[in-house]
Amino acid sequence: MSYTTEIQATARDLLSSDQVSCVIGYEVGPRGRTRPAFIYTADDADRLVWNQNCTHNLTTYLHQKLRPNGYTSAPAETERVAIVVKACDSRAINVLVAESQINREQVHVIGVACDGVFEGAGLGRSDGATLQHRCTECGERTPVTYDTLIGEPQAVDTLDSEHDLAHLEAMTPAERAEFWLSQFDRCIRCYACRQACPMCSCPTCLYERDDSQWIGMGNGLNEKRTFHLGRAYHLAGRCIGCDECERVCPVDIPIGLLNRKLAGEVEAAFGYRAGLEPIPSPLTTILSGKEG
Amino acid sequence: MTYEPRIIGFLCTWCSYTGADLAGTARLQSAWNLRSIRVPCSGRVSPELIMKAFDQGADGVLVLGCHIGECHYDNGNHRTAKRLPVLHSLMEFAGLEPERLRLGWVSASEGERFARIVNEFTDVVRELGPCSWQQNGHRPQAVRAILESEV
Amino acid sequence: MQLISHSGLATWLDHLAQETTLIAPRNVDGVLLYRPVQSSGDIVWDFVRPVLSVKEAFFPATERVLTIEKTGQQIRLNETVPDGERVIFGVRSCDARGFLAMDALFANTEPVDVYYTTRRENTALIGLSCNEMGETCFCTSTGGAPDDPTGMDLMLTEVDDGYAIQVITEKGAALLPEITLQELAGEIPQPVLNDPVPFPPMEAWPPQFNDAYWADMAERCLSCRICAYVCPTCRCFDVRDEPLPAENGSQHFERIRCWDSCAGEVYRQIAGGHNPRAAKGDRMRNRFFCKFYYYPEQYGPVACTGCGRCVDACPVNIDITEVMHAVQRLAEVEP
Repeated sequence: MSYTTEIQATARDLLSSDQVSCVIGYEVGPRGRTRPAFIYTADDADRLVWNQNCTHNLTTYLHQKLRPNGYTSAPAETERVAIVVKACDSRAINVLVAESQINREQVHVIGVACDGVFEGAGLGRSDGATLQHRCTECGERTPVTYDTLIGEPQAVDTLDSEHDLAHLEAMTPAERAEFWLSQFDRCIRCYACRQACPMCSCPTCLYERDDSQWIGMGNGLNEKRTFHLGRAYHLAGRCIGCDECERVCPVDIPIGLLNRKLAGEVEAAFGYRAGLEPIPSPLTTILSGKEG
Repeated sequence: MTYEPRIIGFLCTWCSYTGADLAGTARLQSAWNLRSIRVPCSGRVSPELIMKAFDQGADGVLVLGCHIGECHYDNGNHRTAKRLPVLHSLMEFAGLEPERLRLGWVSASEGERFARIVNEFTDVVRELGPCSWQQNGHRPQAVRAILESEV
Repeated sequence: MQLISHSGLATWLDHLAQETTLIAPRNVDGVLLYRPVQSSGDIVWDFVRPVLSVKEAFFPATERVLTIEKTGQQIRLNETVPDGERVIFGVRSCDARGFLAMDALFANTEPVDVYYTTRRENTALIGLSCNEMGETCFCTSTGGAPDDPTGMDLMLTEVDDGYAIQVITEKGAALLPEITLQELAGEIPQPVLNDPVPFPPMEAWPPQFNDAYWADMAERCLSCRICAYVCPTCRCFDVRDEPLPAENGSQHFERIRCWDSCAGEVYRQIAGGHNPRAAKGDRMRNRFFCKFYYYPEQYGPVACTGCGRCVDACPVNIDITEVMHAVQRLAEVEP
């Protein structure tokens, strides 16, 4: 059975037995582009697909499903949804659970043992051969948490993921500043990086308050740099490396570099990688392991 | 006129700020370049405040708190001790000279230590010269013109 | 019609870059954008369309509209009207058509927007016809064409041994190089067209206002603002006063206006926190109703030029042509 038919069968089963109200998965749109899909009836399960253009991290939709009235209200406890995840996306489930954003029992995780997704996927720019950068460096292709596993668990050698960071780290501070300023200069503050991110769950972003207290509303370099660095800092020890922020960026800012840099720092300091287990990052907790 | 750096100091009110007072009453010379901001705890100094200080033209930022184990709030300085190194590496990665940001511990009785840290830090930053972090052009067009003329 | 050779065009553009500010499609770290160029060598020739529309040269992402200085009881306001002449080369027909919509609001409706109109007056547009339409282009369905000269000052079309020059306005004629140009022999080749997409008439829209389609379609929307910011006709903005550094004893502020988008969650939020368009479906519906119903009704032109940028940039494949298909279909079922 192909992954697609397995996912469809699982979804049909979950929906017809009322175990979940919705299956969040992937479909192919009329233009042939793979995109997120929300399936509510067993009959619609045929729309679901699996292919190597399934790049989106669907866990970003869990908030809207399980907390329909916003983050400040209690979760909708009766709601239960199923979601299709890749190995990287599954780490986001663990972080969301660790941070009490969702209850694990309310999510039926359909994990896919993934072979990597293509560059330009979802945007009609996929050549059907080149894997995304993150996938060429991915060491765990089996989801870390799942209720149903599609495909066989695979072991992959962990690859060296430091080379693009090393290139920047070898520069002088002035060269690095120029590199980043020229990258941030293109930013149009569309906030797609933030919106696509499952970890960016603040009800009001610090950098989009209407009082200009932290950064102004303008599109100046100071503001854009502060937004990107601030966002990277807020994701330190929380980012699971799905690189959605980088994929959705309309002006190709290499945001993933910042996230990888800080993930490395947190791992070096605390021996912790986000999402491998449902425990909060040591960076945001104190000695007892519980928020004081 | 020789260059004098502008340094922002975030001082914990329970120890470092009192330590600064002690340095004053003991008539110890410490660099006047430090603009002190009194905070209830070094753990209150969020990374955003430090970034904002640099955005607004600080040449250096010094964060001083209580020694580990002596925090008035039990674990506030533990948070600082975790946060600052991560922020430090981030800002360094984005092009800030690492010497411009420093975290230190000064107790209320360490007036001499306070003066020494401030003087050392000021010397280091003075040596580095003016910080180019702040983008004064403000409108991207202006900055872009500067960047392009340098290429 | 006249003909300019490839080398003649390069020389002319080099000359323009020396004489004035020349803006053209340029590769900025792998991203194609309209940016100032120093010479014709900086220009990218083979492209469908830059990532951002030429709109940003007239209605920038952030614009200072005035500065405010307060000393004691004295308040001084300084207007900051843009100056400087510019020529933009390589404008696509879809972007120039966007000015029909932008002008309708900023220039042809009171109060006239001095910042926008000054830039329009000080800028000449040299169009470049598309030989073929891009994969997601549908300009022919919204009233345009790949070689439509509407809104241009000069229009260039690639022919066998150079470019055919069509003079549209006097401003364009004044730009022409002083060298004698050959007369064009033969016809200008016709561009290759895509199949048109349905264009639902205005009256097709209101009956679909309460349809479940909007909430379903918008469920995957991320509420980012890419679609509005890449659009050649989206012109919503937000205004705020922000402090500037000032001498002791005085205060200095600037009033800025910045792009805003109805797809963003807080766009419609009002004082007290109520949000009449809190649901994503409502926000997406507004986007498409604005383009094809509200805007034409209020200002005349349709606020979509079929450039296809939003189709290509949307990270979750919300496709305006799919919406047009759907509205057409809904209107046929329930006219």
